Amino acid sequence: MSTDGTIHARGIRKSFGSKSVLQNIDLDVASGEVCCIIGPSGSGKSTLLRCINGLETVDSGVLKVNGENFGYYETDTAYHALSKKKLAEQRTRVGMVFQQFNLFPNMTAQENVMSGPVLVKGHDKKKAAVRAYELLASVGLSGHGHKYPAQLSGGQQQRVAIARSLAMDPEIMLFDEPTSALDPEKVGEVLAVMKDLAKKGMTMVVVTHEMGFAREVSDSLLFMDEGYVIERGDARDVLGSPKERRTQAFLEKVL
Amino acid sequence: MGSVDAALKPRLRLRTPSEYAGWVLSILVGIGILVSVLTNPNFKWGIVGKYFFAESILRGLMLTIFLTVASMALGTLLGLALAVMRASHVKPVSIAAGLYITLFRGTPVLVQLIFWFNISALYPNLRIGIPFTDIGTAVDMNAIMGPITAALVGLTLNQAAYMAEIIRGGFSAVGKGQIEAADSLGMSGSMKMRKVIIPQAMPSIIPATGNQFIGMFKETSLVSVLGVAELLQSAQLIYARTYETIPLLIVASLWYLVMTLLLSYPQSQLEKRYSRATSTLPRKAKRVALTEPEGAAR
Ligand SMILES: Nc1ncnc2c1ncn2[C@@H]1O[C@H](COP(=O)(O)OP(=O)(O)O)[C@@H](O)[C@H]1O
Ligand SMILES: [Mg+2]
Repeated sequence: MSTDGTIHARGIRKSFGSKSVLQNIDLDVASGEVCCIIGPSGSGKSTLLRCINGLETVDSGVLKVNGENFGYYETDTAYHALSKKKLAEQRTRVGMVFQQFNLFPNMTAQENVMSGPVLVKGHDKKKAAVRAYELLASVGLSGHGHKYPAQLSGGQQQRVAIARSLAMDPEIMLFDEPTSALDPEKVGEVLAVMKDLAKKGMTMVVVTHEMGFAREVSDSLLFMDEGYVIERGDARDVLGSPKERRTQAFLEKVL
Repeated sequence: MGSVDAALKPRLRLRTPSEYAGWVLSILVGIGILVSVLTNPNFKWGIVGKYFFAESILRGLMLTIFLTVASMALGTLLGLALAVMRASHVKPVSIAAGLYITLFRGTPVLVQLIFWFNISALYPNLRIGIPFTDIGTAVDMNAIMGPITAALVGLTLNQAAYMAEIIRGGFSAVGKGQIEAADSLGMSGSMKMRKVIIPQAMPSIIPATGNQFIGMFKETSLVSVLGVAELLQSAQLIYARTYETIPLLIVASLWYLVMTLLLSYPQSQLEKRYSRATSTLPRKAKRVALTEPEGAAR
């Protein structure tokens, strides 16, 4: 069975100094599945996501992404950090969408989308431009390619950011509160793009406060608090009839 | 009441007595200085005119310009290297750059210049080669460290420390999110530097570098103590002969002033242009964007 587009984590721990941020996290995401993570601010959701694409390294535990040990290679006695080049290669297979979009302001929307294929993969510029054009069209932004990020609305910028990640042909897409920085009326257009992506079978891990989206799209849902996964299961079950007290308290507050 | 429509009456600014006093005082002082400058025969304006375009003065000016351009160019390159080193994750490399910057910014340039001029007292022979082997050649330090070389080395090494701080400041103004976005795309360190960090750091680095350039133009006058015949020293050489000290200092000062004013216009343009750019709006639609490449027809 192919392990492309899968995430497998066992007993992940991560601390910053003396502060434990992730405590014994298990996570399994199958290919084509959408996993949503909810939880109060500071519970470690971003950190978990950032570990999955190497913006942070885990302290201990097993982390396999696309079937490979992520960021490390395993010997009988230890995990050894991969070279920067190998790590970069693994990263190109995992797309990341940030709360603040993080588009490159010195590049147009199209150049942003082309940046990965051209600068990292060394693809032909003309072909990458054609592909970028198609990707921008697929997120509803044909005709906006020549604009700079500062000339686009938040919702448009976030859709460019999604296209930029997709240009690398990742097997997995990670979203860290992709709609939290948006004006309320712009949230829908970004969620629509994400739903579309889920329908096409992309493996996705989404940190979000959009419970409607979680209920509709996700195959599994995790509730995290203080570095622990408190509750997990089918999204409708967890959101509809949470078993744990902390989950109930959190949902009462946000719903 | 009045004949003017109340809605159209102008609103007058409050003028305080101190405002009038400021005007009167400034004008009086200005006139006083002007009269003195024009009537005091010791200024010897005729002599100023006579030497303003003198050949040795112009040669000095050329050397001043050369020292400015060369030490700025070399200092900026070295400063860039230092800034990259300072940001390194390898602690000893970062600390070494930090020590360099502290040392060269913490001591007077004049002292540094004299130090480099006398470096042969410390290292009479400079050996270029592989340490602990016989491979390489020795060079007589006295022979290579003449006044102009010492001036260039001193100004460059000092400038590098200041440029390193300017460049580092520009780098740190680039948001963490930008670097994370580049990382998550799998960009290598040098690619990130060239395509993401440097383009975004330039708006703050370039105007500051312009200021350094103007500053350096005046700073070069310090190397006159090494006997380098730049602008100031050229003037000094003349008045040592003719005792026309004041007029020749005026000649040198006027040249410094002219050059500074000439540079201040492009500098203000740079500042204007890049203060707009820091608002992250594109400077202009410079590149012809490949918006609809052939083959993408719908
Ligand atoms: N680089 C870091 N250094 C130190 N502490 C951090 C760092 N990143 C996150 N933290 C801490 O880890 C905890 C979890 O953060 P985060 O994963 O961002 O939570 P969430 O995304 O759920 O709001 C927070 O208490 C935060 O302060
Ligand atoms: Mg977060």
